[in-house]
Amino acid sequence: MSDAGARPPAGPRGRGAIAVVVWLLALAAAVAIAMRARYVADLSAFLPSAPTAEQAVLLDQLKNGIASRLILVGIEGGDAATRNAASRRLGARLRATPHFASVDNGDTAAWKDAGRFIFAHRYALSPAVDAARFEVDGLRVAIDETLGLLGTPAGALIKPILLRDPTGETVRIAEALTPAQAPKVEDGVWVSRTAPRAVLVLTTRADGADLDGQQSALDAVRNAFLEQAQRPGANVEAEAALRLEMSGAGSFGVAARERIRSEVERLAVWGGAIMLVLLWLAFGSPRALVVAVLPVATGVLAGIAAVSLGFGQVHGMTLGFGTTLIGEAVDYAIYYLVQAPVPAGETGAVDGSHAKRWLRESWPTVRLGLLTSLIGFAALVFAGFPGLAQLGVFSLAGLLAAAATTRWVFPVIAPDGAPGTGLREPLGRLMQRAAGRLPRVRYGVVALAAFAALALVVLPSPWRGTLSDLSPIDAADLARDAALRADVGAPDAGTLVAVSAPDEAGVLAAAEAVGARLDPLVNDGFLQGYASPARFLPSPATQRARLAALPDAATLSTRLATAAEGGPLPAERLAGFIEDVQTARKDAPFDRKALENTPLASAVDALLLPGDATRPWRALLSLQAVPDLPLDADRVRAAIAGVPGAQLVSVRPELDALYARYLQRAAWQAAFGAAAVVALLALTLKRLRRLAEVLLPIAAATVVVLAALAASGAALGILHLVGLLLTVAIGSNYALFFDHLRRAAEADVDTLASLLLANLTTVISFGLLASSQIPVLQAVGIVVAPGALLCLVFSASCLGRREGGAGAHGKIAA
Amino acid sequence: MPKRNPEPERRRRVRRAAVLLVGLATALAASAISAAGFDLAQLTAQLARVKSGEATFTEKRRVEMLDRTLESSGRLVFRAPDTFIRETLKPRREKLEVNGNVLTMSLGERSRTMQLDSAPEAAVIVEAIRGTLTGNRESLERLFDATVSGSAQQWSLELVPRDLRLRGQVASVRVSGRGPAVREVQVLLADGDRSTMTIEPLPGGPP
Repeated sequence: MSDAGARPPAGPRGRGAIAVVVWLLALAAAVAIAMRARYVADLSAFLPSAPTAEQAVLLDQLKNGIASRLILVGIEGGDAATRNAASRRLGARLRATPHFASVDNGDTAAWKDAGRFIFAHRYALSPAVDAARFEVDGLRVAIDETLGLLGTPAGALIKPILLRDPTGETVRIAEALTPAQAPKVEDGVWVSRTAPRAVLVLTTRADGADLDGQQSALDAVRNAFLEQAQRPGANVEAEAALRLEMSGAGSFGVAARERIRSEVERLAVWGGAIMLVLLWLAFGSPRALVVAVLPVATGVLAGIAAVSLGFGQVHGMTLGFGTTLIGEAVDYAIYYLVQAPVPAGETGAVDGSHAKRWLRESWPTVRLGLLTSLIGFAALVFAGFPGLAQLGVFSLAGLLAAAATTRWVFPVIAPDGAPGTGLREPLGRLMQRAAGRLPRVRYGVVALAAFAALALVVLPSPWRGTLSDLSPIDAADLARDAALRADVGAPDAGTLVAVSAPDEAGVLAAAEAVGARLDPLVNDGFLQGYASPARFLPSPATQRARLAALPDAATLSTRLATAAEGGPLPAERLAGFIEDVQTARKDAPFDRKALENTPLASAVDALLLPGDATRPWRALLSLQAVPDLPLDADRVRAAIAGVPGAQLVSVRPELDALYARYLQRAAWQAAFGAAAVVALLALTLKRLRRLAEVLLPIAAATVVVLAALAASGAALGILHLVGLLLTVAIGSNYALFFDHLRRAAEADVDTLASLLLANLTTVISFGLLASSQIPVLQAVGIVVAPGALLCLVFSASCLGRREGGAGAHGKIAA
Repeated sequence: MPKRNPEPERRRRVRRAAVLLVGLATALAASAISAAGFDLAQLTAQLARVKSGEATFTEKRRVEMLDRTLESSGRLVFRAPDTFIRETLKPRREKLEVNGNVLTMSLGERSRTMQLDSAPEAAVIVEAIRGTLTGNRESLERLFDATVSGSAQQWSLELVPRDLRLRGQVASVRVSGRGPAVREVQVLLADGDRSTMTIEPLPGGPP
């Protein structure tokens, strides 16, 4: 306040100065915040927030689960031998880099460490271990079974450990760990069943959301691939035929980030350039141009600052959407700069009186338009997607800042509006002529709207968008991902049983309880198999029970002597077995930490999500259906009913249900937003008839756009709905202006020109969005751009004065 | 291998003599066809005519580590085009069933499923037997260097895996039979262990 006090006359001028100072300070603060903001472009913004318990499991898995850390690699081209050898070399090289928790390509060399760990902990891990197995009969049967594998190809693996593990615990564990869906093996590495391609599955150490980490992991793969091709002695020609393909959440994230970056750049450059051209057309004066850019710049900075403060980060997509703010915010500048100067004929009054006149005559209409726009964007904030909420906050803050700049700063720095006229006059005349003729087709508009409404009733409902429509991933990339996933049987959106508990031990015990209930389904052929973290990491209770079942040396050797009597493997040769059992009896249960740096760690992490203070530990058991047999969900549900909190989650239908719920919620919000816009208009216009007249063109435009989209066969979703609400919010501005104009003595050319310019900026900025390759932006753009244009045309038709008719149509307020 | 399975060797010699006698007693042409010209194409064509069959088997395994030969017996079933079941009844029940690429193993209560092509060393043995039973020449030639000897009545098929890596595990599979019936499967592993499965067709199976 000391600033204001320093100025002698604390009149309107002083207040103006304060406004400018406040504006400059706010601008400086916004710049500071924007410069320190964290800019991101990950995909989780496209996932809904605040879901139900089942959906929380799902989203958790999608965002943080191992699936988000998988990179699927395919080596294509060349001949099979070259591909497979390249896979082996690539695998070996990647295992030597620090980027990957696991590198799997079928090469069993990778499992050497895991094999050692499993062998050392076989009595804790083997599901077969119990007291009966170490009785005479149990020992006899177990040894018999193991010997049954000798003389088969599996025998070669068993022979080296037979004398220490005659009951075949290692085999039992390996059996349990072998997935029912494994890739085809050729030359000792994984290959596709359907295409000439060697495949590898990598698990990055970096989180799926850590796009920089993902990027460097992807780069490491590319480099290793090139290096192996250029190794000394390589057959250059054969190697050159090989191609590297990569897919997975991380690579999608990185690709999406690239795409969003380039899109934002493209939108900003084009949006900015077109705006400047339009402004030049409007004013033909550099000074006016600079002034007109001020509210836009203020709005963009305020938007970024608000998002950064509210969300802790700014999504690239938000910036892309920001171009529409340019289109909206520049309107205020246009209205002010065009309308503030005194119409031709009047002489220049006292300095600043033009601004006062504008504030008195036009500002209320602009303010009303601002309020309806704010209501429209507020719907985004509550749409339930973090990404959209950002767009909403960005637009709200941006519009408020731009309008405030126009309202309080412009009267000080440009009290007389803009100097130049540019091509404004011809534009205004054009608009005037159009506005004069359009009312003649007013009944045509009504008829068109009626026809469109009828079409909407007849056409199949276009509201069939799905969550994947929001994802900025190419269909081709998705197809490649699906192909690679099919090759390796990688965990995909399938069916899971989820259990949770406050700690690691509890959740593993719950997973074991579910597993025990699923086993009969597998044995009866209803399920092909399932994966459980407890197979790699039994709960401490289970491990303790198994180790406690092991007999002491004296007992074991007595029983063993009886069991082996007359058999092909004399007990005397099994001293190592007795020794190992005694060692195991002294073991303590191992936990997740003990698995670190073995391939088992990533296998466990895929199915076990650690908890913390805010969320429980979670175990996921992924189910494999029998081929060509749909999973019997009711049977599984009935089987797991006895385990508290166990949930069956089908990923695909669950995600679709999630989206359907959001669509429904968004529909309510849009309806509420539209109702709020109507209520606001009703409050201002006061008379029901006038309200109806203002609403007619907006409703007509909405229905026509919707019908056109439905007829084009587009699948509409939440964002189209949001677009419709924005159409209503923005379109009502035009209707209000025409309503305002027909009450004025003479519709002046400049006001009409400003309306046309403002509409063009809106249509162009949303039109740019409609051309975007980011579906979220495209969906909004494709609705608002034509919607806004139609709102202007229909408003001119329904609310314009008829040519020559001085009193306009209908009744005018006396 | 100086002393390998004297039993079948002797039987084969007897049978060869019998075939010779029959050949001499009938026409010269018949003996010419059955001796020199018999190849994989003819063998698989002959085998492919049989669409399904059932048999009993006894298997003897000689394992270098063990003091004694391991013996087992049970039942074999096959159905064209790609189903093969080996059910062991003694010394304990065990079942191995292959349908196309899906391999199901059951032992007592336990059962597990895997894809055959994800375990090439198992696939080699399954394909050698299944491919021979169903007369799938394409599959046999893809996986093995196949050598046929003998005649249509009394033949023997030597299968050596083409893949060097697999040859490090399974050295060869030798299938022999009479007419359209497979009578013996010998598997020689790379480490010297071997198994011999003698097959006795059941009535209702191949003639």
